[in-house]
Amino acid sequence: MADEITRRKFLERGIGVMAGAVTIGIGGVALTSIGAPAVTNKLEGKWVEAGSASDLAPDKFNPVGLVYESKDGWMEGKSKMLAYVKVSGENILALSATCSHLGCNVNIDDSTGGFKCPCHTGVYDAAGKNISGPPPKPLKKLEAKIEDGKLMINTMPKEEA
Amino acid sequence: MLGRIIDVFDRRLKFKEDFKKNVLDHPVPQRINLTYCFGGISFLLYMLLAATGIAMIFFYVPSVDHAFVTVEYITFDLPLGNILRGIHHWSANIMIVVLFLHMLRVYVYGAYKNPREFNWITGVVLFAFVLAFGFTGYLLPWDQKAYWATKVGVLMPQSAPVAGPFISKLLMGGDQLGALTISRFYAVHVAVLPIITVVFLVGHFLMIRRTGIAEPL
Repeated sequence: MADEITRRKFLERGIGVMAGAVTIGIGGVALTSIGAPAVTNKLEGKWVEAGSASDLAPDKFNPVGLVYESKDGWMEGKSKMLAYVKVSGENILALSATCSHLGCNVNIDDSTGGFKCPCHTGVYDAAGKNISGPPPKPLKKLEAKIEDGKLMINTMPKEEA
Repeated sequence: MLGRIIDVFDRRLKFKEDFKKNVLDHPVPQRINLTYCFGGISFLLYMLLAATGIAMIFFYVPSVDHAFVTVEYITFDLPLGNILRGIHHWSANIMIVVLFLHMLRVYVYGAYKNPREFNWITGVVLFAFVLAFGFTGYLLPWDQKAYWATKVGVLMPQSAPVAGPFISKLLMGGDQLGALTISRFYAVHVAVLPIITVVFLVGHFLMIRRTGIAEPL
């Protein structure tokens, strides 16, 4: 009988099963902990007060730095992001400066009124739409409002421009 | 499934037979008993400590202003982090006990005698490394117990003649127990000791393969 379980075979398999169980157990715990922050360490969107609305030049993009309290793992501190805000009458257009290609901050291109990314020469028009270079998508639109003369911006992008 | 994957390698590299001959069918003296397991158990604990320790390196920051909060983060916020730290903590404690029993068995059985003297010597050195692991690791949580226990430990050498005060300062990295102490303890704990311990372990293991384990009483 080829499949007969001898005492030796039983012990050999037992060693294999125990070694496998310890490896999978400890490896599972270690890898779960190491991987968990990818899911649990989230950046929360927040409404941030970004200065007084009267400081913004009308009908053109103004760079607005957003500084807000955030929690990053064990650090409770300040996060920063850059937005471009254009107020035309009642309309407020707030764009995240984060390039849709690989995340650099784009600059205002004065000659076109749009944006240029310094990293890989991505170009966006004045509506934030990607028009040339590597960016696959438009710049992200941020929720913005003016309350009591204060500019308020939500740090979590809602939709593409 | 696993067997078929192993066979793919074995058909080319022929290791299965050697593994069987040298590991599973390796001859050992008759009547050996469970006290012969303590060396293997301490090596298992060493591997558990390495695995859980490497995982904690991903989160722990060895500085006076972050050590405690990162340990708090591992313990209370990180999923399974308390298990990770718990296994590290208990393996470290149990290791001291198991090593003591390992040495006791070797002593009582006279297994340290010719031709195994160098196994005893490397073993004593390894035990010293484990105590150094314990001493350096104890400081890293940077809580009250860690701080004062280490303070006592680093000031003990002061009473030694001539070089005593210098040894204390060398351990602390200066005149106070602080920023430089925690970073050097960390470096010794996660880089220096693991490497020299593995070197001595390899020697310890190769030599016992050469001489064979001692007969029971």
